[in-house]
Amino acid sequence: MQKLVISILGRDCPGIVAAVSKVLFDSGCNVEDVTQTRLQSEFASIFIISMPEGISPDDLHGSMNGALEPLGLQVSMRPLENQGLPADAEPYEPFVITTTGPDRLGLVSGVTEVMALFRVNITNLKALFRGGEDPSKNTMIYEVEIPAGMEQDSFREALFRRAEELGLDLSIQHREIFEAINRI
Amino acid sequence: MLTEREVVSTLEMLKNEHLDVRTVTLGINLMECQSHDLKRFCGNIYDKLTGLGENLVSVCDRVGDRYGIPVVNKRLSVSPISVVAAPFSSSEMVEVAVTLDRAVKEIGVDFVGGFSSCVEKGFSHGDSSLIAAIPEALSGTERVCSSVNVASTSAGINMDAVSLMGRTIKKAAESSADSDGLACAKLCVFANIPQDIPFMAGAYLGIGEPDAVINVGVSGPGVVKKAIDRAMEKEDGPDFGEISDIIKRTAFKVTRVGELIGRQVASRLGVTFGIVDLSLAPTPNVGDSVGEIFESLGLRSIGVPGSTAALAMLNDAVKKGGAFSSSYVGGLSGAFIPVSEDITISEAARKGYLSLEKLEAMTSVCSVGLDMVPLPGDTTAATLAAVIADEMAIGVINKKTTAARLIPVPGKKAGDKAYFGGLLGQATIMDVRNEPASEKFIGMGGRIPAPLQSLIN
Repeated sequence: MQKLVISILGRDCPGIVAAVSKVLFDSGCNVEDVTQTRLQSEFASIFIISMPEGISPDDLHGSMNGALEPLGLQVSMRPLENQGLPADAEPYEPFVITTTGPDRLGLVSGVTEVMALFRVNITNLKALFRGGEDPSKNTMIYEVEIPAGMEQDSFREALFRRAEELGLDLSIQHREIFEAINRI
Repeated sequence: MLTEREVVSTLEMLKNEHLDVRTVTLGINLMECQSHDLKRFCGNIYDKLTGLGENLVSVCDRVGDRYGIPVVNKRLSVSPISVVAAPFSSSEMVEVAVTLDRAVKEIGVDFVGGFSSCVEKGFSHGDSSLIAAIPEALSGTERVCSSVNVASTSAGINMDAVSLMGRTIKKAAESSADSDGLACAKLCVFANIPQDIPFMAGAYLGIGEPDAVINVGVSGPGVVKKAIDRAMEKEDGPDFGEISDIIKRTAFKVTRVGELIGRQVASRLGVTFGIVDLSLAPTPNVGDSVGEIFESLGLRSIGVPGSTAALAMLNDAVKKGGAFSSSYVGGLSGAFIPVSEDITISEAARKGYLSLEKLEAMTSVCSVGLDMVPLPGDTTAATLAAVIADEMAIGVINKKTTAARLIPVPGKKAGDKAYFGGLLGQATIMDVRNEPASEKFIGMGGRIPAPLQSLIN
């Protein structure tokens, strides 16, 4: 069975996932995993599906476009290369990096550059810039995976230095503290 | 995935509401250090404390960094010196105190508690030597703290001990007169002392505790105050039930921090995790005050009518929320109302809202008792003993812990200012009314018998 990754982008409205999953169902495809998110008025979703024999990705793409273009949505597809999670995934520790500070160009790029340099992967990201100069209204929250064996002092140092350059107040904390405080 | 609210509210508590781990206290058992030879004994103590405690500060800092929550104080508590050093004389006990002081300075720890004694039923040789050594031991060292348990619900009140402690406090004050009687700030007299308090000056490692154990005290009066303020701002204001619920939830969160960090530190040190002490413990910093909570609740100041009821609700709600969040809760676990360590309480005393009598009434519903109370330097030993006796009676009859940390400031009178410095803060000296008037009562001697434990009205 061939597996595909389908991503959908466009203006949010009720009925998008229903429309997509109907096409998939009618084509005999199985939805293995799906996630969606909304940002301001925009919708984005990723489906991982398995296709039955006898239907081609191009046919499926055609059916999808037919159903979604009227809703103003874009679809892109490609075969799933890695067949899901890598077998030898490196152990990691979950941390949360948060910043607040006045809005300006280069905040996301500046912070994520340091993360990329240290091979720290972002698993969830929410960045909301609402307040212009009011630092508490401009928050970036990065949930990240830090490789378990990594010596963290240089990463922290680099992060804090970059935060200072960008005029940001930055915190980095293990995820456990947020769960311990907020969840029973 | 964490919600934005979870992340932002947690960070608010850390950045703007003074949430921190007030103390991680490593309890170390000194029984195996015993020797009839003083030098050997002190050597054994020094080696055990510096050995087990060597990494306490660095581990606490690393764990604090991991969670973004500072561990403000790292402390030690030890087995009661009156027991461990029982064969020694008073001057030899002072040597032991000096050794304790040297050891904690070596490992960078702020205080060590355990220069202590339990005399609720009577004095042993070791107890007498220790108590006689207290003034010199506390004025001659920086970081040693002492506690003496003079009463318990099962034994009653040892009035000989109470009277002796009145005199001991006077001597300790006189021997540290150049620092406003600072030695007395490191000395607590207790009823029903718990064996696992992580806070000073009452910390000691009781008999029955493990060889080494981590006990944690968190601090959250600022967090509780802000939570109450947010609720009170709403147009449809909360009632007492809702306020109590808010305090419980807040205490839950604050205690979870202590539990998480305490367990991590214990695990990294290879030591047992003991308890979290739920107490709301203030500091002299603005926004970190228990006294302010009273104002948030709608009282003009701590000390005005309504204060005892407010404190009863606060203390109970803190215990309920904290107890749910951790399986191992101990120590004092209540609300602290220290006069010099809390900027708002200190102000309330200065302005005349808070009197010694009202403080005593409030101690009937919270755990710590008369804490960091600066008194006129000419207060007689018998009056001090009588104030202590009253506090002990509250603890003994109500089956709770109470304590007295009284500081008669040499050369100063009611209305003058006393300065203790750092976390110990500063305060205006409080008036002791109707003294001296208790000399004959205190002079009677003996033990006030243990109360009935049924027929409890």
